[in-house]
Amino acid sequence: MLQAHSLLWHYLFVAPNVLLLVLAVLMWKRNLHREFPVFLVFAVATAIEQLTIYAADVIPSVGATTWWKLFWGGLLLEALVKFALIGEIFGRVFGLYSSVAKLGKVVISGVGVALVFLAATAAAYTPKNNTHWIVSGAHVLEQTIYMIECGLIVSLFVFAAYFRLRWGRAAFGITLGLGISACVHLATWALAANGGLSSRYRSYLDFPIMATYHVCVLIWFYYLLVPARKPKAPTRKDTPPPEHNLEVWNQELERLLHQ
Amino acid sequence: MNLAIVLVVAAVLALATVLSVAVTRSLQVPGSAGLTGSIRPIDVEAFRNLINPAEDAYLRRRLPPAQFRMVRRQRLHAMAAYVQVAASNASVLVRAGQAALASGDPRVAEAAHAMVNDALLLRRNATIAIARIYLALAWPNSSFAAVRVVDRYEQLSGAAMLLGRLQNPAAPVRLAALL
Repeated sequence: MLQAHSLLWHYLFVAPNVLLLVLAVLMWKRNLHREFPVFLVFAVATAIEQLTIYAADVIPSVGATTWWKLFWGGLLLEALVKFALIGEIFGRVFGLYSSVAKLGKVVISGVGVALVFLAATAAAYTPKNNTHWIVSGAHVLEQTIYMIECGLIVSLFVFAAYFRLRWGRAAFGITLGLGISACVHLATWALAANGGLSSRYRSYLDFPIMATYHVCVLIWFYYLLVPARKPKAPTRKDTPPPEHNLEVWNQELERLLHQ
Repeated sequence: MNLAIVLVVAAVLALATVLSVAVTRSLQVPGSAGLTGSIRPIDVEAFRNLINPAEDAYLRRRLPPAQFRMVRRQRLHAMAAYVQVAASNASVLVRAGQAALASGDPRVAEAAHAMVNDALLLRRNATIAIARIYLALAWPNSSFAAVRVVDRYEQLSGAAMLLGRLQNPAAPVRLAALL
């Protein structure tokens, strides 16, 4: 069951990508693409890229080198779109508030530069795990991309949490899915690139990657298409706190404000 | 293999961070219920005295260097405590303001946006101020001013007052009054 070209493998390769295309269509119908245009591009591009790789895998006439070339191309395209998507999310979460937008840009840029440096260092120390550079290079590239993506998403979450910024439902769902996917991908690709695993064990790694991706697509469905529960109507709890020495404080503050 | 272990551990930690943020968010009660209760009062006047450079100069003149450093450190610790409370209050106001952003009244939404902006700025300045205070603790003889934090705090009080007035004209400035 946990082998390449098993029924589960076919399902996990195809189903999330078909679902992602369905999500893109539903987003378009509900005009959500205006809110998250890059996510729509990401959904369409990733689904088409993954389905192309799947087709190339199952069509016997496609050679191994052609498959790996397609894999490289898809990987680079996906990385570009993902980083653009992170930029879009950043703009939606921090762009509203001028007081932190500039600091956020500085922090994210700094973290980005540090991550590129770290990922390049990790890539330099990654042993060549295959005689064909096109295979080992793809593993290292995956590891590098997911290191940067994972770091950027965690920084976004931490920065927003530090400033107690409230995420929009859709932006949160997109980032949560991306974050979970990036973390699991990083762990599995790090094992694939550095673990010294045999090709048999390495093929097992496809399953956590594909299963996580499936879960993430479902997370995007939930956050983008299921409406949020409406908050309860204001109750007495919403009223201000007991009126202990409020007048004194107010007088003091008024005096300070008019100094 | 060592690199694989390091990266897997890093990925697990990152996943734990992402999931903890997700859980925290889902546990957060929408709206501003109970938020004002978590605001801790600050004696702005006392804080202003604490950061007054003239007082530091006076103490420097009057006290022997060793004693001055000890007193200065005590004052810096007190200063840090004040700034931490201001930062914590700013966080509460960010949440209260964001809850008010959904208001149908454009005046309330505008005031809420201004308050959130001010509160974020205060939190940012407070973070920088705390870093500077701890730096000054290492070198008590260095000069330090947290005036910008006080100014921002006062501005924030004004924004909270405006939002309070717009949200509840009958009982104005309750939130601001606690600041």
